[in-house]
Amino acid sequence: MLMCRDLAMIASDYIDGELGTAGKLSVKMHLMMCGNCRTFIGNLRASTELMKAHTSGTVDEEFVRRIDERVAEALEAKERGKGNT
Amino acid sequence: MTDTDDPDENTLISRMKSGDQQSYHEAVRAYSPGMLAVARFYLDRSSAEDIVQDCWVTVIDAIQTFEGRSGLKTWLHRIVANRCKNRLRSAKREVPMDFSDGLDPDLDSRFNASGRWEIPPKLRFDESADTLMENGALSDCLDKHLSALPETQRSALMLYEAHQHKSDDVCNILDVSASNLRVLLHRARQKIFLMVETFQETGEC
Repeated sequence: MLMCRDLAMIASDYIDGELGTAGKLSVKMHLMMCGNCRTFIGNLRASTELMKAHTSGTVDEEFVRRIDERVAEALEAKERGKGNT
Repeated sequence: MTDTDDPDENTLISRMKSGDQQSYHEAVRAYSPGMLAVARFYLDRSSAEDIVQDCWVTVIDAIQTFEGRSGLKTWLHRIVANRCKNRLRSAKREVPMDFSDGLDPDLDSRFNASGRWEIPPKLRFDESADTLMENGALSDCLDKHLSALPETQRSALMLYEAHQHKSDDVCNILDVSASNLRVLLHRARQKIFLMVETFQETGEC
């Protein structure tokens, strides 16, 4: 029988739908009986969503500005090269 | 002619092929964070930033041969990964990786000998991610803990979650097996879970 610790070991695979049918079924059976693990899975999922929301919009403006400048220089050099041929 | 599923992406690619500077500005903004996450898997921050900058200059010519067999994001991430691998190869270095399975010690210690919770999670994280993100202190705390993750775990997590690559693509870009990717994601998520839990319970990072 799946214990709480066993469930924690495979919780990430469960969240991503990466468990096989038998694994998924044993997790679902355990979750029906165990409130602590239901909270754990819910919180693991929530913290993953939180991380996703946090990182998706993160842009280092200074880094992007430096790349923009280099790309602009390279594009201009390419244009000049075309003009010379 | 490109053949991705996204009409906006196809338009962007066409504009890049014509040398339109604004299109590069948009692409740099959209794709550089993910490219940096790839590079950070292999290299220190400074070298990773250099590689990403160099890649963008390469892209100006390489985009002409882009055929759209993969999405633009995946193509860019592969260019970065290949450059990083070449850099490591020429320096005869390897990425140190820890694929040891199992639970984070701080989580493991919360189970008793029979495998039941000794210290179960107390609170439910009921609020939505968007509501929680309005909390600036939590946002700062996430930054701090993401920075503290081993590079390999952070890059895997960023590519899979934030940049929404499929598992196969992440494995390909980072050169790890599917089972090792699972381990990296598993360990990174446990750390983030423990951090959020501590923050929710104590308000401290």
